[in-house]
Amino acid sequence: MKELKIKDLHVEVEEKEILKGVSLTVGQGEVHALMGPNGNGKSTLLAAVMGHPKYRVTSGSITWDGKNVLEMSVDERSRAGLFLAMQYPQEIPGVTNSDFLRAAMNVRRESPVPLFTFIRSMEKTIRDLEMKEDLAHRFLNEGFSGGEKKRNEIVQMELLKPDLAMLDELDSGLDVDALHIVARAINNMRKEYPLSLIVVSHYERFYELIEPQFVHVLVDGKIVTEGDAELARRIDREGYDWIYKDYNVQPSSEAAAEKKTRVSLGSCAVSEKVQAKK
Amino acid sequence: MKRIHVSEDIRLREGFEEFVIESDRDLDLSISSSGTCQAFFRIHHAKSLRIRAHVERNSEVSLVFWNEGHAKLTADESYEVNENAHLSVAHGECSGGETERNIYVALREKKARAEILSASLINEKKSYRMNVVNFAPKTYGEMRNFAVVLSEGKLMIDAVGKIVKGARGSVSHQTSRAMSFAPGQNTTILPELLIDENDVEASHAMSIGRVDDEQLYYMMSRGLTMKQCTALISAGYLMPVADVLENEEIRTALRSELERKIESL
Repeated sequence: MKELKIKDLHVEVEEKEILKGVSLTVGQGEVHALMGPNGNGKSTLLAAVMGHPKYRVTSGSITWDGKNVLEMSVDERSRAGLFLAMQYPQEIPGVTNSDFLRAAMNVRRESPVPLFTFIRSMEKTIRDLEMKEDLAHRFLNEGFSGGEKKRNEIVQMELLKPDLAMLDELDSGLDVDALHIVARAINNMRKEYPLSLIVVSHYERFYELIEPQFVHVLVDGKIVTEGDAELARRIDREGYDWIYKDYNVQPSSEAAAEKKTRVSLGSCAVSEKVQAKK
Repeated sequence: MKRIHVSEDIRLREGFEEFVIESDRDLDLSISSSGTCQAFFRIHHAKSLRIRAHVERNSEVSLVFWNEGHAKLTADESYEVNENAHLSVAHGECSGGETERNIYVALREKKARAEILSASLINEKKSYRMNVVNFAPKTYGEMRNFAVVLSEGKLMIDAVGKIVKGARGSVSHQTSRAMSFAPGQNTTILPELLIDENDVEASHAMSIGRVDDEQLYYMMSRGLTMKQCTALISAGYLMPVADVLENEEIRTALRSELERKIESL
């Protein structure tokens, strides 16, 4: 049984500690929701599992299927069955979706996927996600709308069939119809095989469609509370304030950053900064 | 396919023609054409190559020079584009040898158009000088250079777009982009616009840089190795050079040749 085990994970970005000891276990076929205010480590956790070079693991461990993930390169992690649907998918001009996907499918097979089989499965996936037919020939995400980029992440996921998929705010940028299309595609995959999911979303609507069995709340780099789907519903109704109070925690960074003095145009930014220092 | 061993005058026929240049000596080729002509020149070997081409009125000519030789090549090319004629010249450079190329394009009569394109995979010294001059009103000149510069590569592009006085309503654009994957490369691009007329449209764009780390991370997160990512990005970067020709067979052949070259790096 393929299991993701994260133990006491500490992660730094540009010398700033973002994760301060996160432990999480995701069993095969389980769906976990990761909630928490912005800037408190949700995306960092997913990026650290995938191996983004900017995120430095300072202590703790991540294992997948018993293997040490931290010793694997990004591409090795992907070939081992991990997938991250990114919050901001990159645009790659000059590389078509079909060339990219065929290469990505071929690296996980012994013999290359026959062209005809590839075209058939790509066409099916494009239909499943209700994307434009010319998707295969367009450059990877170039000129795509926010919603198209997010759907294209799921096109890739459907073709690559990962064992564990992490969805980083997949629903942002999707309208209600697109949200249903994407959720349907994901749920269909779950019917086919025991796909594990870690889902980051702020919206109860998406959780209703994906139905997580486990909900974890990340505040200031730590999981402060865990529960079932009811926890997500309560957060949707009441926000996070009760969690800060009950667990005696303070959200980090973004909330604090909001309070930084804003310098208006038309004033001298340098002198305001100098004065602020005084 | 016609082999060229000695200097000669080439009269292009309507449609598509293929040539192979193979000579130990200096070659002088004079090219003329009328109607719609497409020609593909595979350069196997030539000490120096001198090309003079006349693009006749109302004609449409596309030329692709594909340099795959291993010795040093010196090329001097000049093109005269006449009224309402349309010239596309593309240079594909994936040879292992040094290249020195000098291109001069005269947009001689009104409504003449020329597009000069280059795609280079550079692991040697390559130096391109190009001049596109708008001599007549409503002429259009465009230069586009794309290069992938490898660690031993040295690229120098000096591109001049010039619009003379009286060439009203003319257009001169140029774009040069060089991309590298490894340190140790050396790239110099000098974009120049010399404009002596007010009623014109002109621009230049240039970039020299490494592939974005975020792009590499994104591609690798789908399982592609670093090498596969660079091969895909490079091919995408250089392939537009083949699109100058409508011949699908040649385009596919060029694409797979480029991919092979890139993969073998």
